[in-house]
Amino acid sequence: MTGRISLTDVLLRVWGVLVFAFLFLPIAVIIVYSFNEGRLLVSFTEFGTTPFRAIVERPAIRSAVMVSIQTGAIAAVISTVLGTLAGVAMARRPGKWVVVFVGLLLLVSVTPEIVDAVALLPWLVLLGQDAGMPIFDNGVVRLVIGHSLFATAVVSYIVRARLVGLDAQLEEASADLYATPLRTFRRITLPLAMPAVLAGGLLAFTLSLDNTIISAFVQVSGTTPWPVYVLSALRSGLRPEIAAVSTLMLLLTLVSLTLVWLVLRRAGDSSTQIAKTMTGN
Amino acid sequence: MRAPKFLLAVPAWAWLTAFFILPVATVVYFSFGYKPGLFGTHATDVLSLDRYREALSPTFFTTFVNTLRIGILGTLICLLIGIPMAYWMAVKVSPRWRTLLLALVIVPFWTNFLVRTIGWQVILAPEGWLSGLLQSIGLRDAPLAILYTRPAVLLGVVYNYLPLMILPLFVAFDRVGPALREASKDLGADRLRTFLRVTLPMARPGMIAGILLVFIPLMGDYITAVVLGGARGNMVGQLVASQFQAAQNWALGSAMAVLLIVVIAGAVLAGGLLAWLVSWPVRHRTRLGLADLENIAVQERA
Repeated sequence: MTGRISLTDVLLRVWGVLVFAFLFLPIAVIIVYSFNEGRLLVSFTEFGTTPFRAIVERPAIRSAVMVSIQTGAIAAVISTVLGTLAGVAMARRPGKWVVVFVGLLLLVSVTPEIVDAVALLPWLVLLGQDAGMPIFDNGVVRLVIGHSLFATAVVSYIVRARLVGLDAQLEEASADLYATPLRTFRRITLPLAMPAVLAGGLLAFTLSLDNTIISAFVQVSGTTPWPVYVLSALRSGLRPEIAAVSTLMLLLTLVSLTLVWLVLRRAGDSSTQIAKTMTGN
Repeated sequence: MRAPKFLLAVPAWAWLTAFFILPVATVVYFSFGYKPGLFGTHATDVLSLDRYREALSPTFFTTFVNTLRIGILGTLICLLIGIPMAYWMAVKVSPRWRTLLLALVIVPFWTNFLVRTIGWQVILAPEGWLSGLLQSIGLRDAPLAILYTRPAVLLGVVYNYLPLMILPLFVAFDRVGPALREASKDLGADRLRTFLRVTLPMARPGMIAGILLVFIPLMGDYITAVVLGGARGNMVGQLVASQFQAAQNWALGSAMAVLLIVVIAGAVLAGGLLAWLVSWPVRHRTRLGLADLENIAVQERA
């Protein structure tokens, strides 16, 4: 590939640039339109920062963002704990059960979100009202449950993939030296899996921030997360504040993605491996 | 006594059973019931297949067909855009830039789905800037009329799921490595032949992964259709949602949800069968896989 550049190479490069333009066009539009002083999002009148001030001034927006961040944090912790334990078990205690369990995780990941959503709604009503467990009437609890399903599967895959790639010798040595299983887990297995655990946790947080469909069904009024607020604003007319908050949320997502990247980089993953991890496979 | 092997997976297992298996099973059960009167949402004292018959009636059947059409078309377009893109990233771009480009594909994928779609709404709106631009340079003499049509939904789904196609394809092309391409060249194949006979077949696992990763969530999508399709871009997801929200007919909504899963599974199976049949003549030619090459290398080293 030295010297002369062939026509195919030029065409491929043009194609690549066009695809990137396509991928970033709507995101760029949202960022630009978050500085729109106009009353309606779609018609840009003049440049200004009023939309960003609305975040502080409008309690409904502030509360929606807070609910999203709070839910994201709790859902991330729950799915990280569940997924890490499951991932460790799959990698270190393989057997026939893994096939069944992976089947369950696959089922969770391929079921359309709308099906999860319509299934959870009556189920949570049943648990909360008919079975008399008021904790399931709590808005944040409901959102956390809904967001933790897919995220648990994702964390399980990531942790399993990392540990399968590492030899179990250290754990065997630890057991030979009379460490209890709990101690081996805490001092050897967990540190080995840590990059995957952190990456999985951050991805779970991002997934939760993003979740719209399940949230729209299970939320109770008073604890509306940000995407559901946007969804309802869609019906009543989109205002520039929506773009402003979205821009800030985008920054938050970028920060957590950069962290995932750095964590995996330090753990020695190649960028291809990181890309695989980030799409959950 | 040793603890059972799956002990550590029990919490996740229990959690997913309580909040995934059981709720979905309930939906399947509801789908055999009916809606009792105006104010009830579902009843299951008489079980029947009537809701399925209702869901497949002409009124709703067109939506299933429309969803399937958008699903197949959208997946194909993603594949056609994604193959050259992933090939370029994995083969032509220098490794130093590759990391940055990968990050650039991942960022839109992790940007809020709804917000990205709203971005397109802003672009396509008749009173938006694109419409104004096209009119002022004389390409259109009327405002853009694409928003709230099926093409807009198609554009939206292609946009939203494209990264899910590019990333597995990239991984697949990356794995092929330069050695096989050079070998093919040394054996006298030209570039097109090398691509068609070596690179593309080796990337097949990536293509299959990409097709599944795009097609399955796309079929269940309802956000894109709501934002860009309005009332006319109807997809099954919207139909299910409206039965649970507006119509309060949980029995019919459940039947539609179950049918949606059946349609997705059926389409994936049919696609797999078709691919298998089409590749029948090709498969019987001898071809070395990567695994074979690795085995040979290992044997030689030993």
